Amino acid sequence: MASFTPNLEPAPDASLQFKPKKPRITLQTPSSCPSNQRTQRIKRWRTQRDQHIYSSKLFQALRRSRRTSASREVHETADRVLAGLARGTTRWSRAILTARKVTKHKKAKLPTNNRLRKPDIYRERRKTTAVERKLKVLGRLVPGCLKLSFSNLIEETSDYIAALEMQVRAMTAITEFLCGGTGGGPQPPADRLPSNVNS
Amino acid sequence: MSSRRWRESSRTNISEEQITQLLSTLRQLLPEIPHSHSHKASSAAKVLKQTCNYIKTLHREVDDLSDRLSQLLATIDADSAEAAIIRSLLI
Repeated sequence: MASFTPNLEPAPDASLQFKPKKPRITLQTPSSCPSNQRTQRIKRWRTQRDQHIYSSKLFQALRRSRRTSASREVHETADRVLAGLARGTTRWSRAILTARKVTKHKKAKLPTNNRLRKPDIYRERRKTTAVERKLKVLGRLVPGCLKLSFSNLIEETSDYIAALEMQVRAMTAITEFLCGGTGGGPQPPADRLPSNVNS
Repeated sequence: MSSRRWRESSRTNISEEQITQLLSTLRQLLPEIPHSHSHKASSAAKVLKQTCNYIKTLHREVDDLSDRLSQLLATIDADSAEAAIIRSLLI
């Protein structure tokens, strides 16, 4: 394991470089440039470096965890590393990190709601427009974003989508690499060669 | 946009401008689908629906990828030489 530490050096450096972004973002919120802040956020998950950081962290996490045979474990690990990279700046990341032990348990719609609901004649129509219904669906898809205001939900969604895209790219890269590694298998035979050469 | 839809927004005190701004941000994130109406024939509902579908698609992709990864990791288990190579190339 000692030989691996040189490889680990770039990761702490990268994370140190990553940290100053957080105070920069929070300082800009009271200022009157929401567009700058938004472009910064948009660039956030798009850079190659972020993807490298994520891939390496994910790979280390996968190597460390014993139970990587279940795809759900892999998925949850990937989500957790992704949320960890966000450094607690977004709601969905915090929700993922705090919901670690809870299984994917979707609450069924409470039947009492439908029974106790008064008929529309006796109360004002809620007028759940199509937009509101879709907003609710969106709120359920993005973790931790139930009952958010419209603008917050859209912001969380945009960040979440960018992060998910990066997750897909990184995991695809890791998968392709692992496929190539098992297919090639270059190193182990090379260890046997010196024994032949020495004789 | 019908006036009925925006009666709701007056309750929540969000200006129409803000809504259109946010929706345009969202629209930029969505992948361009050429076969659908490529005009900006997008009401808020359509954009939201496309967003939901896109997130579901991404979730499914990550699910598939994690399936494959779990299978691959089971086969590669504990080969330190390969792990070193992979790590050095990833970082």
